[in-house]
Amino acid sequence: MMKGVGESLALEDVRKTRRDPEGNPVEILRGINLVVPAGSLTVVVGPSGGGKSTLLRLLNRLEDPDGGRILLAGVDIASLDPLALRRRVAAVPQVPFMYDGSVLANLQRPFVFRNLPQPSADSVETRRVLDLCRLPAELLPRQARSLSVGQQQRLALARALLLEPGVLLLDEPTSALDPPTADQLGQSLRDIRRERGLTLLMLTHDLRLARRVADRAAFLESGRILEEGAAADFFENPRADALRRFLSAPEAAHE
Amino acid sequence: MSDGVVDLSLIDLALVYGLVLFVAGLARWNGIGQERDLLWSSLRMIAQLLTVGYLLKTVFSLASPVPVLLILLVMGGFAVHAVGARVQERMPRFHRVVGISLFIGCFGATFFFCTLVIGLTPWYDPRYLIPLAGMIIGNSMTGASLAAERLAAEMKERRLEIETSLCLGANARQASAEAVRGAFRAALIPSINAMAAMGIVFLPGMMTGQILSGTEPLLAVRYQIAIMCVITASVAVTTFLILIFGRRGFFTRAHQLRLDNFTK
Repeated sequence: MMKGVGESLALEDVRKTRRDPEGNPVEILRGINLVVPAGSLTVVVGPSGGGKSTLLRLLNRLEDPDGGRILLAGVDIASLDPLALRRRVAAVPQVPFMYDGSVLANLQRPFVFRNLPQPSADSVETRRVLDLCRLPAELLPRQARSLSVGQQQRLALARALLLEPGVLLLDEPTSALDPPTADQLGQSLRDIRRERGLTLLMLTHDLRLARRVADRAAFLESGRILEEGAAADFFENPRADALRRFLSAPEAAHE
Repeated sequence: MSDGVVDLSLIDLALVYGLVLFVAGLARWNGIGQERDLLWSSLRMIAQLLTVGYLLKTVFSLASPVPVLLILLVMGGFAVHAVGARVQERMPRFHRVVGISLFIGCFGATFFFCTLVIGLTPWYDPRYLIPLAGMIIGNSMTGASLAAERLAAEMKERRLEIETSLCLGANARQASAEAVRGAFRAALIPSINAMAAMGIVFLPGMMTGQILSGTEPLLAVRYQIAIMCVITASVAVTTFLILIFGRRGFFTRAHQLRLDNFTK
């Protein structure tokens, strides 16, 4: 099995400002400094509205920051062709979007976009990715939109993996899943990482999942990283008061 | 005028207007309302049509291309303005995109038909050019409104699809292909429906007018077929250009969907 090569990410004083409906500037990210080592599985936790999703959108240049730099393997991503960047940095949005057509057609879609030869249903690579994402091969001819939400979530993951990115960005991958399905997804993520060696950055509310799979963690609140470090330390000995409160009652912090 | 046309005198016209007065009186008497609107709009119609009539009479007698082109220019400007007034959700660089697209579509179709096909002499013959261009511009305007409106709506509704495609490596054109297709379909539906229903559901105005003024029916039919083809082409070209130019405004050069551009 071929092993992907994880790439590192580094954020240096990254800032992003948006405008509210009245046109007033709102600072979403206020100087983010974060290192995501190559091959690590880093989770970013924090209350809703803290800037997590915006942060993720900057990393594959769905948007560009207003200040600071983002380095991929040491190179400022602002200098990279966005289409080439998005091949190295794959993102799976929170809500999976399925194209009209079969599961296989959905897996092939990124290859169509890039004008690359499409993987067939019985190629080793297709089978391996389906295995990793715990999707039975019998699903391949099925209409993708007829799958359950959990299956669609995993298909979105498989679709992103098939292009062998160096970094995988996941936005709340378990938000629509019940605990057993979420656990399966967590198991998939660990397998993917072990087999591919890629770098994973995941946003999540799901502290159970975060504790199980992460080796690094960061806490993002009100546009700032208030704490980051090795996952064991982060979850067992949180130093910031806000993080301690969040870890003890994450649901309360949503509001 | 042609031999078969029955003259309509001012007295005849007054008699016919009596019908409107009669209906308005009836509405008033029964208390069902609308008599004010009826009278006001009928007076507006008379004033507007008389103005157009005298204008056309003058332009016909001048035998110069300048007033003809001026009228076409005013019609075009009005069309762009009307599209702007009708479309709620405007794409970036709205007026420029709509103006250029309408100009190319309508000018191209009119020129093709009037000069290359029927070969007007003189080339600006207002008796043909003004009504034909009017129909072409009017229909293209409707298509342009629909296309511009739908494009903005599709971009908004399909945001998840578009951004998923971008994440998966699509360029801006690929990511918005479905949105553009949807808008194109919406803009062409009126022309397609009109062609399919023509002659069965209604007799088209131009053909009816030609028959009334003594043109042989089969020739009138030929003209109607020709003008429908030209209108459809103009609508399609205008719409296509609006979608192609317009789509660019929704993306940055870095293949990013602009979030701030869904504004008035």
